[in-house]
Amino acid sequence: MLFNSLSFVVFLIIVLVLYYSKIFNWTGKKRMLLFASYVFYGLWNPPLVILLWISTFVDWFTGKKLATEENKRKRLYWLLLSMFVNLGFLTFFKYRDFLVDNFTTVVNTYGYGYQSSKMDIILPMGISFYTFQTMSYTIDMYLKRTERAKTFLDFALYVTFFPQLVAGPIVRAQDLISQFYEEKRATINQFIWGLFLLILGLFQKVVMADTLLSDTVDKVYSSDKILNFWDAWMGTLAFSGQIFFDFAGYSTCAIGIALMLGIILPDNFKYPYASLGFSDLWKRWHITLSSWLRDYLYIPLGGNRYGVVRMYSALMITMLLGGLWHGAAWTFIVWGGLHGTYLILERLQRQYIPFKITKWNGMFLAFTTFTCVNITWVFFRAREFKTAWNMISSMFYLNPEGEKVLGSFDILKVGIIIGLLFICHWFMRNTSVEAVSKKIPPVALAVIWAIMIFLVAIAQGSGEQFIYFQF
Amino acid sequence: MKLKQSIIIALVLSIIGIVSWELYLRSQGLYPTIDDNEALWAMQRQRVEKATKNDILLIGSSRVLFDMQLNEWQEQIGIRPIQLASVGSSPLPIFHDLVNNTNYNGTIIIGVTPGLFFSTTFPEAQPWQWPQSKVDYYKKRTYAQISNHLLSLPLQQNLTFLSDDQGVDGIKLKELLGKIKIGNRAADPMPPFHEFGEIALDRNLKMKQITVTDTAYANSIKKVWMFFGKDAPAPDKKSTVEFFLKDLKIFKERGGNAILVRCPSSGALRAGENLGLPRKDFWDDLVKQADIKAYHFEDYDQIKNLTCPEWSHLSAKDAQYFTTEIVKIMKADGALSHFKTN
Repeated sequence: MLFNSLSFVVFLIIVLVLYYSKIFNWTGKKRMLLFASYVFYGLWNPPLVILLWISTFVDWFTGKKLATEENKRKRLYWLLLSMFVNLGFLTFFKYRDFLVDNFTTVVNTYGYGYQSSKMDIILPMGISFYTFQTMSYTIDMYLKRTERAKTFLDFALYVTFFPQLVAGPIVRAQDLISQFYEEKRATINQFIWGLFLLILGLFQKVVMADTLLSDTVDKVYSSDKILNFWDAWMGTLAFSGQIFFDFAGYSTCAIGIALMLGIILPDNFKYPYASLGFSDLWKRWHITLSSWLRDYLYIPLGGNRYGVVRMYSALMITMLLGGLWHGAAWTFIVWGGLHGTYLILERLQRQYIPFKITKWNGMFLAFTTFTCVNITWVFFRAREFKTAWNMISSMFYLNPEGEKVLGSFDILKVGIIIGLLFICHWFMRNTSVEAVSKKIPPVALAVIWAIMIFLVAIAQGSGEQFIYFQF
Repeated sequence: MKLKQSIIIALVLSIIGIVSWELYLRSQGLYPTIDDNEALWAMQRQRVEKATKNDILLIGSSRVLFDMQLNEWQEQIGIRPIQLASVGSSPLPIFHDLVNNTNYNGTIIIGVTPGLFFSTTFPEAQPWQWPQSKVDYYKKRTYAQISNHLLSLPLQQNLTFLSDDQGVDGIKLKELLGKIKIGNRAADPMPPFHEFGEIALDRNLKMKQITVTDTAYANSIKKVWMFFGKDAPAPDKKSTVEFFLKDLKIFKERGGNAILVRCPSSGALRAGENLGLPRKDFWDDLVKQADIKAYHFEDYDQIKNLTCPEWSHLSAKDAQYFTTEIVKIMKADGALSHFKTN
């Protein structure tokens, strides 16, 4: 079910009515939320709820064993069992065709003439998100960093909690399960603020991403021609805006919906396009994934504890796998590799050419970072390397006679939106929507809110899927 | 933060804004319409699962949608057909779906618009891709999509601003912004296209009266047909006919009754059709090879002189007449012999 759909509006109203009615005690409410979460997921593809159940049962059982088992080897076996099941599902559903394709290509280069058939497996929505979430619980249990969930219901709800089930934020067990232990009710202000965040998220998704930017992106990236400098740049800038508004919009909706239930979810975006370098970017973009990768991949790979070479290797491996997490294609791996390279170059710069960041060079640094991020988005968005290379060459003005596919208004529109987005991120980088809202008069907040509702109403479409669902 | 105050003002302003927008659109002569999307098509396709030998399915392009009126069918034979035609489409993908994915063995009326029927079997080409996307949607639609559509229908029927019309008639934010043009950079060569039909829940579609009364409106649509006709690729008669005959054989073997119908066209479009896809080489040959009942509007005095306001589709009034007459002709010919008649 999509947040930007009528079914979800009805679903949410029913859930809220049941949640705040006196029909259920707290356990009953949690059961209702769990059932609602399965309905939320199952309305897309009912049989795939079974995967959620298997993941839930395996990690609950593993967690239970890890809570009592002291034998190191046995503890490791339990951890491996959980990882085998979770990563096994992820590999089978998400990477099977990719791996088989690459295997076929490699063996056929040696003349084996191997034939493979694609299985066209449905990618279970949100599998990358809930797999990482459940794995974090088991790994934390193994490392004795978190307490075992008190009840199976609490754990199942942690795995399946519908606001963040299919596209995050990826929440750690200690941050969410403990919230289920005592009855939660949103205060009236929390409820209204949650509703505001839900509208803000829908505005980002429906108006900014789908209405104002998606057509420009599709027009540019579906073109099979070598494009003009302006078209290549505007298509890529439009995508940078689209993916931000789409994903940040989802996270904002998720945080808002959870808040309406009195549950606090962590921030996932903090104005990433005004980042001062790439370390800063990854503290601001998809924060819950980047912190997951840091804690469960980069640090176990050695982090910065074993010298420079090991640190850079760990960094690059983390970013390459982070790219692969987004999709089973080499273009995503290159995207991750570019980010890994940027991070390494940034560390080298800090070591050998350090400088103090001021207000003025900060803006230049933010602009440079944003520009470099846009180069990586080309590989993220392009379906094939050929498209990516064509786009990159056009962006570096190597095709001055390239085709024009965008009208002047499209260019102006994207330029204004992305310009405003960058400026907005720059001025908001050390604050939050909530902090700013507290400073403005209630009437001004109401007018902004009403404009967003009005624009969502007149922009609503057929309910475009969120981009990150495919990851 | 005084959030209670903010939410009350926001709700009041939102309601004022949305109601004002709705009233403004209505003051401009617009009214609520249903979107002829994949979900609406899928609702009719669903009905085929329970259809019996006594049902009738209509497939083809927009000519079948405009020209075949369900009320008139029902009046003539007591059965309301299931309308599965699709605009800008070859009937072959939908016929293929009906033959291969259902056990239906009743009557299928197949509209033959020569430029579409004989166009292609290439999956990425529009005449194939459009109807195939409907078939795929039906196969893959989720419960969430079904419930979204069911919930949206009452809203579509009552709120003008929800209209999904595209192009010059579009009123959604994306369409409104799309109308803003600055200069001629990468100008769209396609002339502006008006929506000229209104569809009902059962996909009974009627031409808007403005197409009949406003010559400029009709002419703007003619320009679009000219635009598409100008660069239309050569027909692929061999592949399309072979594809059709293969499915037809299966359908006939299980007792199905397929009937070909060529709906009227007029003006320069008809001249272009006669030139590019001569009846003798295409329609007559298809009928001969298919060996099924077939009706060409040119063969019957009562319908051969019908004029299409925009060259390709009949007005609502003429469509009612055409349907009545063509069904009478079919009945008289024994093509619908097992249906009760009034």
